[in-house]
Amino acid sequence: MESPLFLLKTEGLHLGYGRSSVLRNVNFEVRPGEFWFFLGPNGAGKTTLLKALLEEIRPQQGRILSDPKLYRRDNLGFVPQRCDLNPTLSTTVREFVLLGLVGIRANRRDRETRLAWALDKVGLVGKAEKDYWSLSGGQRQRALVARALVRRPRILFLDEPTKGLDLAAEDALMQSLTDLNRQEALTLLFITHDLTLAARYASHVALFHNGKVQGGPISGVMTPDRLQFTYGIPVSVSQEAQGEVTISMGRGRKAT
Amino acid sequence: MIQDFASSWHLFHNSYLAGWLIGLLLALIGVLVVARNQIFIGVAVSQASTLGIALTMWLGTSGLFSHLTAEYMSPVMAVVFSVLAALVTVSRGETGKETPEAITGWVFLFAASGAILIVSHSPLGLEEIHRLLSSSIIGAAASDVWIFAVFLGLTAIFIGISFQRLLLFSLDPAMAAAVGMNLKIWGLITAAWLGLAVGLAIRTSGMLYTFGCLVLPPLVAKSLCREVRAMFVVAPLVSLGAGVLGFILANHYDFPPAQMTVALLCLCLFLAWLWRRFRNELKKSP
Repeated sequence: MESPLFLLKTEGLHLGYGRSSVLRNVNFEVRPGEFWFFLGPNGAGKTTLLKALLEEIRPQQGRILSDPKLYRRDNLGFVPQRCDLNPTLSTTVREFVLLGLVGIRANRRDRETRLAWALDKVGLVGKAEKDYWSLSGGQRQRALVARALVRRPRILFLDEPTKGLDLAAEDALMQSLTDLNRQEALTLLFITHDLTLAARYASHVALFHNGKVQGGPISGVMTPDRLQFTYGIPVSVSQEAQGEVTISMGRGRKAT
Repeated sequence: MIQDFASSWHLFHNSYLAGWLIGLLLALIGVLVVARNQIFIGVAVSQASTLGIALTMWLGTSGLFSHLTAEYMSPVMAVVFSVLAALVTVSRGETGKETPEAITGWVFLFAASGAILIVSHSPLGLEEIHRLLSSSIIGAAASDVWIFAVFLGLTAIFIGISFQRLLLFSLDPAMAAAVGMNLKIWGLITAAWLGLAVGLAIRTSGMLYTFGCLVLPPLVAKSLCREVRAMFVVAPLVSLGAGVLGFILANHYDFPPAQMTVALLCLCLFLAWLWRRFRNELKKSP
């Protein structure tokens, strides 16, 4: 049987909790190696869609199609917005990252190889024996990414992983993710509120507004009128000669 | 002192063995309770099983059960009520309608007041409830030793087989759900296991010893260990060490063994806190 061209595809997807509806008629397609950004205001359904793609909630209507060869549990990685770890509990970076291997068969040697690779990819080499709580906020966030990467995923879901990070930590994390996307052809689905990040790193964007999702290549979706419709304030998008994208929001707020 | 203890062995060996096995079992399960920051659930579940016992006594004295049936039903009801309490506190607390602390508090207070009210007109019943609350492990039978040995073995196997999953479920449920673990089922399994262990232990060792062994050894281990996995080894060892020393001292100085063991565990925890503080200060110094 031939593999489909897409990694993931939604057809007429309706999502919600109980009787309440959150998203209606969602149709989009993710192909291997794409870097997707999910953008939209709070409560627009970004995390709900992510949960559905991770099979944590069932569609009310419609379906999610996937490539069975690539879209398997052991090929999926997830980086939550925050970690619920009890802060009074001591744990090393090694123990924390290796927790990501649940559901994957790996012997001791394989585990060590995966651990070293994941820590290398997020710039935490030499920190394996460190106390997780002694790391800085940015390093902890990268440890969360390493915990997802230790599974050697083909597709990585990230729920606002840059929230609360300073600029340097955010830049280091985004650089790690971009390298993984380019070097390992890792498919990334990234939830954020940061339009600038999306403008700089996304290959594809999905805009969430009022129960609807508009998704596709960044050039077709991240347009001023669509962004204004999504956020309800004037947004202008311009591309400099060097390829740098400038986003201006509201009255004169500018970000590049 | 040790000779005194050895000479008491032929009289009390079942109580000693049952006490140590209960300590090992609860210390293992308690690591999950402490890791999930659910210490108060332990005391609520323990209290709920005394309600089960009180209810059986009342049924016995009111003539609905014969005294013999009530005697046999007592451990069953203790287990049933503690399992129910564990399931209620875990499942209702996770629905988000009410905080887990509020549900746990309600279970504790309902069970505590209910147990006393039910047996308040029966002098024997009231005495039994007071005995359970104050803890006495003297009187355990050979069957208790076997029950706890088997339960301890099964618990060790269960933890060994599903170690990584249990750890992830306890430490980071969001990630556990994302890797395909069914949180409801894991919540029910761990709650039922906790309820079963506490319900069985209460009948033999009383509430103080049961709750003490459930939370104190894991808290000591938490202060000593750098990783959660090590707590599964250190907590049972602390429990066993305190149990052996506590029983020897209690026998020599004629103190109740359960209270002596819990007091020793409290001392261990205080020393572990001091050690952790000292270790942290040492790390800070250049």
